[in-house]
Amino acid sequence: MALDWKNLSFPRQILPTIAVVGLLGAAAFILAGLPDRTLSDPAREPPHAPADLAAQPRVAGSGVVEPSSETVQIGSPLSGLVTRLLVEPGDRVGEGQLLFALDDRAVRAQLREAQAAILEARAAIAEAQSARATAGRQLALYRQVEDPAAVSRAEVIRAEGDANAASERLRLAQARLQAAEARAGSARTEIDRLSIRAPMAGEILAVNIRKGEFVSTMGGGGSQPFIEMGQTSPLHVRIDIDEEQAPRLRLGAPATVSPRGAADRQVEAVFVRAEPQVVPKRSLTNSAAERVDVRVLQVIYQLPETNGLFRVGQQVDAYIPAKGDEE
Amino acid sequence: MGTLLDTSAIGGCNPEAAICTRGVTRDFQAGQQTITVLHGIDLDIRAGEMTFLVGESGSGKTTLISIMCGILWPTLGEVKVFGTDIYDLGDSELVEFRLANIGFIFQQYNLIPSIDAASNAAVPLIAQGMERHEARTRAVAMLEKLNIGDQANKLPSQLSGGQQQRVAIARALVHEPRLVVCDEPTAALDASSGRRVMDLLREVAVAENRACIIVTHDNRIFDLADRILVLEDGRITHDGREMPEGH
Amino acid sequence: MLWIAIRMLTGDAQKFYGLVFGIAFSTLLITQQLTIFVNLIERGASGVYNVSSADIWVMDPVSRTTDIAYAMPATALDKVRSVEGVAWAVPHIRAQASVRTGDGDLEGVAVIGVDDATLIGLPKRMLEGSTEVLEQPDSVIIDDVGATRMFPDQSPIGERLELNDQRAVIRGIADAIPSFTSTVVLYTKYSQALNYVPGTRNRLSFVLVGAEEPAQAKALSERIEHETGLKAQTRDEFAKDGIDFIIENTGIPFNFGITVALGFIVGVAIVGLTFSLFIRDNIKQFGALKAIGVTNAKIRRMVAVQAGLVGLIGYGLGVLGTILFIWGFASNPTFKGFYIPWQIPLISLASVALILALTGWLALRNVLRTEPASVFR
Repeated sequence: MALDWKNLSFPRQILPTIAVVGLLGAAAFILAGLPDRTLSDPAREPPHAPADLAAQPRVAGSGVVEPSSETVQIGSPLSGLVTRLLVEPGDRVGEGQLLFALDDRAVRAQLREAQAAILEARAAIAEAQSARATAGRQLALYRQVEDPAAVSRAEVIRAEGDANAASERLRLAQARLQAAEARAGSARTEIDRLSIRAPMAGEILAVNIRKGEFVSTMGGGGSQPFIEMGQTSPLHVRIDIDEEQAPRLRLGAPATVSPRGAADRQVEAVFVRAEPQVVPKRSLTNSAAERVDVRVLQVIYQLPETNGLFRVGQQVDAYIPAKGDEE
Repeated sequence: MGTLLDTSAIGGCNPEAAICTRGVTRDFQAGQQTITVLHGIDLDIRAGEMTFLVGESGSGKTTLISIMCGILWPTLGEVKVFGTDIYDLGDSELVEFRLANIGFIFQQYNLIPSIDAASNAAVPLIAQGMERHEARTRAVAMLEKLNIGDQANKLPSQLSGGQQQRVAIARALVHEPRLVVCDEPTAALDASSGRRVMDLLREVAVAENRACIIVTHDNRIFDLADRILVLEDGRITHDGREMPEGH
Repeated sequence: MLWIAIRMLTGDAQKFYGLVFGIAFSTLLITQQLTIFVNLIERGASGVYNVSSADIWVMDPVSRTTDIAYAMPATALDKVRSVEGVAWAVPHIRAQASVRTGDGDLEGVAVIGVDDATLIGLPKRMLEGSTEVLEQPDSVIIDDVGATRMFPDQSPIGERLELNDQRAVIRGIADAIPSFTSTVVLYTKYSQALNYVPGTRNRLSFVLVGAEEPAQAKALSERIEHETGLKAQTRDEFAKDGIDFIIENTGIPFNFGITVALGFIVGVAIVGLTFSLFIRDNIKQFGALKAIGVTNAKIRRMVAVQAGLVGLIGYGLGVLGTILFIWGFASNPTFKGFYIPWQIPLISLASVALILALTGWLALRNVLRTEPASVFR
């Protein structure tokens, strides 16, 4: 039947056309509307095992970067006001290099006092020596006189007494000198103790004191270490291994380590040692409320030089080969 | 079932007869009872004649005509239509035989109300598998022969009763059947219309090689018959040119 | 003959439209209710589907769904990473928290902490802002439905919230499928989430795992279970867990089942009655056709074509109605992410076919039983 618009029947031609077109549209709508549930690759690369470990037994752990010396928290033997601060975080220092100094004015005053006392003692010694010489000469003079009447016995006894007293005065003055010297030495030691020096060569990691602050040996007030330093070349990484996984670990094998957030930059770290103690897991989230009942074996690895990729305190993901399942 | 009628004893059919029935018996079950509607009808219907089958209601004429045109199985006996023993055919062969050889004109026309006159008239051709346009063209030609070619595109409901009957006649004749069966063609018509229809039927339906059976009890048209068969209580009681006296 | 069948069908406008309406109504009811049902129970899996990159979810053996999870110790992450075939594993925290809004109301929210470094665990798409905003301190990303719930008619960007006495600033809106309860969801970094959620001993809810070979995820999950003693579910399994949880714990399947069954019954009733009436009206014509010489096979085909046409139109209109419904409500947060699973139109198609086959068969029985001889009565 030729298409004749006048004879177009609603139920026989238009309705089925609507139905077919509607069904086609519905099919398109349904297919277009199906939810997208395809799996997609993550936008940023997550940490994953290195290629050569992918198909092998392995143990994964997370860890924290630390200096090879571990972190040294520099303290102060004395309390006092910080008068000089000679380092900044990031500075490399040699062993014995001055880090900061405390207020030493009081001790220096004591030193000066002691030095004055030394001078005084020396003067007293000189005076005592000359007095002893005078008394000696006078006594010798009396002794040379043969005539007993010429010199009374009393004169001689007084002269002997003068000579003895002069010797005693000299010894006293010498003792005072020693005492003053000891005081000066003690003050110098104090002054030295007020200057805090690096116990070893390394890098300053944190400086928590400012010039003018009072540092106390009593702790308190945040109880932060005054200065943290450590040997950062090389860096170590302390990897926590779940105690259940620990027996599988192949001790001594190199680990593949990547920093959080840069999972594609994996480096190989050299085994240093495993800590003899299995310790409760230290939370890496720094939440005070965190208590965890699992224990971990800590394994120390040495990181290669990577030009700033790893920093002390950074969290890392690590993969370590495991013993085969045959064991 | 009583005695089996030996149809061969009655004798074979006349090969020239359009329809030949031998010993046709039909029983109906009504509950426990068996009612015999036809009692061994032997008939020969000739081609080229208009044969009237007349009988009261319940005389069995509907059953007989149904059996003769292959839509109702006889309990016993055989029916040959133009030499074919139609109840020897398989179910679908019988349907095909009806479609090819028999035209029906029903009392209530039974036109399909939702297709137009030409399509209604073309139904047998379409059922035979003829392409729709050609079938319609031939149906329109037949309608023109019946003088209602101008109504070809109207729906049955838009036609008068007489026009509908002409459409029914067209449907019965469009595929040139060899047997036309017409059930009470004048029952719903007044005397003059009835006669016009009968004239028309005689004009278009009666042909040399075609049998035409008209079932009726309308005594106004008995004079138009070539042959009248009267059926009473399942038996043929009269066979002749005229109606017997007393009817 | 078949076009005659169609003419016969459409010739009786009343019954034709009755049939079309019956089928369309049935289709609409079945398709639309099934769609809502499926989408509603799939809300139980939205937490899983919102994370687009994890092949496997690892959790405590007693955890059941994304919302019902028992926390694990932090070393579970390393245990999982130690399993062969695990390409990567990141921590994931999901917890409930209460948030104080600007006007002082308390609102329950879900806090989701994603891996700090990779942000794995965030929904795939952002509606506003980028995922980088989490790098800023105290940042959270809110889900879009939660944003409309908590901040109707205003932009939530820059709004300050109070979570567990901590400051949280909304800096982005994620395009996520809401959960079954439409809880407001705040995404933040894992370390930040620990601060936002009141502390308990263990915090790690899930470990999200990427497989070396995603196709072998099932085998990998079994290996993880074997080696770590934790429960590992592939993404699809875990999504199904969420759905099953809703099915087991709500009356939703039963209620929707009733509605769908009603749709079917109404369809059968309307279509069955109308079809029977239609056939009964035309029984004389069918009888005449049978007498004239139309075989039963052809009659069957005619009825089948009639049923087919009614089915096509009714089904088409019904599906179209469902589409218009879903489309019309697409912007409503309640229907966010609703889609029509392709199986559902096929199910309703099968139902329609069943309705038509059933009613067609019943109607056809009358026709086939009709003796051609009846036309002479």
